[in-house]
Amino acid sequence: MIDRRDWQLAFLNQARTDWEAYKKAEELMWPVCHRLHFLQMATEKLGKALLVAAESNLGEITHSHSALVKFMRVVSNNLDLHLQLGLTKSQLKAQFKGLLPIAHEIEILAPALAQDGPNPEYPRLDKSGCLCAPFDYSFPLIRLLESHQGIRLLKYIEYFPAEFEKLFLD
Amino acid sequence: MSQNHKSMESVVKEIVQKHFDLEERLEKVLWFKSEATPKIRLLEINSETPATGMVQSFFFRPSDEVPYPLIIAEVTPEEWQKILRREINLPEGWSLENHKAFAREMVMA
Repeated sequence: MIDRRDWQLAFLNQARTDWEAYKKAEELMWPVCHRLHFLQMATEKLGKALLVAAESNLGEITHSHSALVKFMRVVSNNLDLHLQLGLTKSQLKAQFKGLLPIAHEIEILAPALAQDGPNPEYPRLDKSGCLCAPFDYSFPLIRLLESHQGIRLLKYIEYFPAEFEKLFLD
Repeated sequence: MSQNHKSMESVVKEIVQKHFDLEERLEKVLWFKSEATPKIRLLEINSETPATGMVQSFFFRPSDEVPYPLIIAEVTPEEWQKILRREINLPEGWSLENHKAFAREMVMA
């Protein structure tokens, strides 16, 4: 019988390998669209690895692309995380609040959430009527990831899959 | 691809200056030099960053502003002390023996 924990581990393992793909794509200087695609996938699955344990409707969470922002709101209340990072609950909440705008930008890279906005997978018609392929688009988000807030968010995105069992499963 | 018209040292100084301007809690920036790689490798000591107990480095491709591959890691002052005591490892190829430190007073003077 497959239970929620099996789903958690499946999403966690996929998040880990998507994250490795993101890091590798960075080092090899692959086009921005591919790097952001891996980042969006890694973070969506990381979010689902936690949320799938609590969401009452399994299908709703497995089929949704909205997971990272919700994940960050949930983990900011995690007592083990406060202890591990040596932060108070209010410090952690304040830190996460500052990271949420970038997390949101990553989340809405998913084509289903991007609507008419940029996504890293499919060509689209932009507001001026031009056909734009992701490969040709510069994605301002990449500059946000180079900021200090961006680097901190990336630190968490790498840290959570590495420490997931200790923080969320034990 | 960006062209390297500027020397690596001058680009490092620009980045360091900018980061001290932007980050009030940034205490020190360490530039890990290497003759083997044309990459800029920076370790920033900042009490605002999450203390994850490891040195997590992130790679950024060259741009018009920074025409060299850039690798940045951030640690807290406590984590930096652990690095000095060899309790936390630096990324592979980064050596404490070959770095240049920039303190806020030096840069903002």
